[in-house]
Formats: sequence, structure tokens, C-alpha cells
Amino acid sequence: MKQTHLTIRTALIGLAALTFAIPASAQTWVRYQARPIGSKVKIEGTSTLHDWTVDGKLIGGFMELDSNFPLDPAAKPAGNAKLNAKVEVNIPLTSLLSGKKLMDEVMWDAMKQRQYPQIQYKLKEISLKPNAGSGPLQFDSVGELAVSGLAKTINMAVTIERLDQNRLKVTGSLPMKMTTFGIKPPSPNIGLGLIKTGDDVKVSIEWLVAKATDASKPAEKN
Amino acid sequence: MKKHQSSPDLSRRTFLKGSSFSTLMSMLGGVPLIAQEQPKDAPAAIPVGRTVKCGVIGLGPWGREILSTLVRFPEAKIVAVCDTYPAMVRRAQQSAPGAEATDDYRKVLANQEVEAVVVATPSHLHRNIVIEALKAGKHVHCEVPLAHTVEDARAIAKAAKAAFKVLFQSGLQNRSHPQRHFLLQFIRAGAMGKSVMVRAQWHRKQQWRFTSPNADREKEINWRLSRSTSPGLIGEIGIHHIDMAGWFLDTKPLAVTGFGSLILWNDGRDVPDTIQSVFEHPQGVNFLYHSTIANSFESDYEVYFGSDSAIMVRENKAWMFKEVDAPLLGWEVYARKDSFYKETGIALVMDASKLEGQGENASQDAAVTSTPLYYALEAFLRNAGKMSNAVTDFTANFGNDDDALKEYLAETFTKSRLPAAGYQEGFEATVIALKANEAIMDKKRIVFQKEWFELG
Repeated sequence: MKQTHLTIRTALIGLAALTFAIPASAQTWVRYQARPIGSKVKIEGTSTLHDWTVDGKLIGGFMELDSNFPLDPAAKPAGNAKLNAKVEVNIPLTSLLSGKKLMDEVMWDAMKQRQYPQIQYKLKEISLKPNAGSGPLQFDSVGELAVSGLAKTINMAVTIERLDQNRLKVTGSLPMKMTTFGIKPPSPNIGLGLIKTGDDVKVSIEWLVAKATDASKPAEKN
Repeated sequence: MKKHQSSPDLSRRTFLKGSSFSTLMSMLGGVPLIAQEQPKDAPAAIPVGRTVKCGVIGLGPWGREILSTLVRFPEAKIVAVCDTYPAMVRRAQQSAPGAEATDDYRKVLANQEVEAVVVATPSHLHRNIVIEALKAGKHVHCEVPLAHTVEDARAIAKAAKAAFKVLFQSGLQNRSHPQRHFLLQFIRAGAMGKSVMVRAQWHRKQQWRFTSPNADREKEINWRLSRSTSPGLIGEIGIHHIDMAGWFLDTKPLAVTGFGSLILWNDGRDVPDTIQSVFEHPQGVNFLYHSTIANSFESDYEVYFGSDSAIMVRENKAWMFKEVDAPLLGWEVYARKDSFYKETGIALVMDASKLEGQGENASQDAAVTSTPLYYALEAFLRNAGKMSNAVTDFTANFGNDDDALKEYLAETFTKSRLPAAGYQEGFEATVIALKANEAIMDKKRIVFQKEWFELG
């Protein structure tokens, strides 16, 4: 019987501890929301006619970082350890623009925009690179990138730079192949004949996020 | 709304369709400056852009021309047609089966399915339709002149400026034409030398009157023949030449002097059938424009005179005539040359060197075969689709932050759109044309005031 009482008491103490622990744990996350202005996506590729570039300025989504997440290079944080972070990114395909007449439609069509209107990314793991130097802190990330209906795990080195008390800039670039995501490099018959697009592209991002005053709402203006 | 017009098509439509003057010039030995048409299979190779559901308001000859051009685009779905004359609506429905047919433009604007409207009513009826369409969140293509008064044109342009989430395109269709962009680069690069003067004309032999058994209706459909509603030949037709001259010269006129006479069609109308005007541009460069519906000789064309060469633009073609002391440009050594009466012309073909490199014959008279209207409507549809995409993408991610959306659109949409005239170009050309018409009607010189071009 005594044993039973002890068990119940232990369970109650545990439950109480858990009850307090849950909000304490939630408070350790700092949410950053994508800003409407200031982000950049660039996709660089080649073709038989000339090299080409596609630009976008819309990167939606959010980032939640543990309050202990290292952001200050001066603090010389230790590398390698896995960090607590949640990141989800959306890039509308139709926000990617070439500046060339009719080429946008060619690109969107190749990327099956009507079926899959967004490029989506979700972070799986992130760790600080050791010996990152004096610049913005550099990280190794692993995440799932979904393009044209195919999701693939990608590794990408990123830097996270604190711009001020509220804003962070995330920078990264990644060489990839269109065919990895089932995208057939377009060969449009435009203007002066058939153009063949190369399979290799380089994707670069600059993502501006700011602390959300309310996690349920977008952050205030820059 | 544009009423049924039983007479043969005229004015803008005939102006744009033109005649065979270019053939005549070629036979005389002129040298065409041709913007090469894209391969015939190219359009089929381009994926279709976002479908834009359109309404056409005003189904007179020009409105029907717009409708018949719109239906050629897979991006366009005609969901509403509107005119106050039932016969025109029924006729339009044959081109747009399933479209809502109405005699009330408000029903078109209330139709939630309609994303974009093309307004092709008489210009004095534009104001309410356009402003209400913009307020209803529709993309608007408005024919030029934007209105028959500067006040109305300003009200339309201000409304278009304020409605930043939707596209406003004015009907200065040459601004979308690839041949014009080719010539613009050529002229702006200084290939003509120093600008000397510009001359343009539009000559037809036609009455400009429609008949109807109903007197009230006849008055209504002949709005071009009444001073109270007509912007005159200079407003209806000359506005396109005015716009081109200013665009190529990269200036606005400082003053205009006009002359007008009613010579042949003295049937009670109070607008001239023959006009001349001189626009004084900076640096002493004058633009001479004359237009008549009493004689068709030489139809319509423009000539840009420079100290090194003159360029004549006719429909989709142009010819360059060099001075003997003009510097050698280089490329003309390899270009096609033809005799042109006592002159020798040099062929300028858009992307000629690339075509030659690909084994294509750049000197063929292929030319850009689609009309300026085709390119203008292509731009309208593609741009409207992209504008809708941009607004949707932005608000889905960032909500209703109008200031940021405006900044985003300014940064991205301006870069990605197909070339087309917006509210500012349409407004400025309208002001110049209406003031020129005033100068013509009163046979006087008018000095343009800076504030006339301001939207406030």
C-alpha cells in the first residue's frame, strides 16, 4: 500500500513538473517571420544561346530558433552540435521571373507550376560549423526540398547574420540538377530557333526574417 | 457604349490595317527595315500563360476587332460582352459562345468571374466605365484617347494610378509592337544622326459617317462628327503618331499649332475633314502631322529625318535613307540594298546577324505580320496574368500589407511585364492630342503647360 502511495506521489510530482516544463520549454523558442521586402532568390543556368538568370523576391515562411541558438560570432560558440531550430520556407513559382519575354511561362511550365505552385523547404537538422571565422556564423543544414511535386533531402551550407535586434538574414546557395526533381530542361522554340537549357543550375537565396511580435502574425515592417 | 455602325469599318481599324503602300514602295526600290517575324511554329511552342477571363465593353467596329483578336489567344477566355445595341451583342456572342451578354456595363463589372475588361466605347463614355472597373478590381485596357476632355483623362489616369493591384493599359498599341521597339533602339542609338524633324500623315477617302434609320441613334453613332464629343482626326488617329514621335524623340512637345478645314464632307458636321498641325519639340525639332478623309494619296506613314539619314515607317516596315556624308555604320555593308527612285536604302532587319548565322534569310520581306493590336492584347493578357499572380503570391505569404505590396510590384512587375503603354503614357498622349485638337478647331498656337501633364 505504501508502495502504491509512493508511486502515486511520484507520478503527481512528475505530472506537476511536466505541467510547468511545457510552457517553460515553449518560451525558449524565438519565432522569426519572413519579411515581405528584402529577400532574394536567384537561379543561374546555362543554355545553348546564353547563360540565364531567374530572380525572385518573395520568400515566405518562418524560422523558430531555440533561445540559445548561436547568432553572435563574437561569443565564439562551439561547433558541430545539433541545434534546435524549425524552418519552413515557401517560394511561389510565379514569383520567379526571367525578365525575358515569354521565358517565364516556359520555366513555370517546365516546373509544373499549375500542379505545384510552390517550392517548399523544411529543415530537418542544423549544426554550427566549427571554426567559422569572424564573419557571420555558418551552419550545415539538412532539409527536405520539394520542387515540382518531388521532395528530396538536400544538404546546404548557410550563414545566418544578425542585422539588428529583430532581423536576421539567411544566405545560402546550392548547385543542383533540374532532373533531380524530374524537371526536363526546357528546349523552347523561341524567336531564333531551338534553345536547349543545361541541366545544372545554381540556386542562391537571401532570406530576410524578423522577430514576430505575435507568433501567429507576420512581424512588423522593417 | 459604341452603337451599331452600319457603314464600312473606318478610322482606327482601317488605320491599323492600312493599305499596300509598302508593296508599292518595294516595287519602287525602297529598302525595308523589317523586324523579323518569329517562326510560325513559335507561338505553339510557348506555354500558355495564366488564363484571364475578359469582358469586352463596346462592340462597334473597333470593339469587334478587339474581340476577334482576343479570341485568338488561349490565355483569353471571353466571359462577357456588352453593348447598348442588341444586334452587336448577338454578333459578338458568335465569337464568344457562352459569354454573358448585356447592354449594361455595370453587369459586366458586377460579374465576379470577369478579371479584365477591354473598354472600346466612344471616348466620351470611358470615364465612368473605366473608373468603376478599376474600383471593382478589374484589369483595364482602355482605348485611346483616354477621354474627350483633359479632365476626364486625368480622372481616369488618377484612378488607374491609385488602383495599383490591377493593371491599366492604354490603347497606344504601337508601344507593344516589336518592330517599334527595334526602331526605337536604332533611333535612340543615334543611327539617324541629329534629329532634324518628323513628318507623319494619315490619308483616307472616306465619309466618317454611319447611317441609321433612327435619327437619335444616328446621332449617337456619329459621335466623331460632333465637336462636343469628338477628339477629331488628331485625337482619334493622330494620337498614335503623336505618341510615336514623342517616344522616338524622347521629348514632349512644347507647343502645337493647328489648322483644320471642312472641305469635302460638308454634311452638317462641325469637325474638320482635313487637318494640319505642327508640334514644336525641344531643340527646334518640329513634328508635322496632317490627316484627311478627303484624299487617300500615300495613305499613312511617318518619316524621321536625321542629319545622317531618314527613316520612313510604314505599317510593320521601315526604310532607311542615308546621306552621302553619313558615317559608315559597318553592318550596312552586308545588309540588303535596294534602289528607291533616286535613293538607295539599306535593309535593317531585327536580329539580322543571328538569322544569318542560323542560315535564315534576313532580307526576306517576311516582316512582323501580326497587327499592333495583337501585340498590345498579348501584352495585356500576359501582364494582367502576371499582375494577378504577383498579388496572389504576395498576399498569400504576407497578408494585406499594401505599402509592401506596392514596393514589391514596383520592383518585380515592372521588370517582368511585356512592353505596353500604361496610364501615364496614355494620359500624356491624350493631353497632347486634345490640346492639338483645340488648336486645330480654333486655328491657333497652344503652349503646353507643365501642370497639364501632372496627375496631382
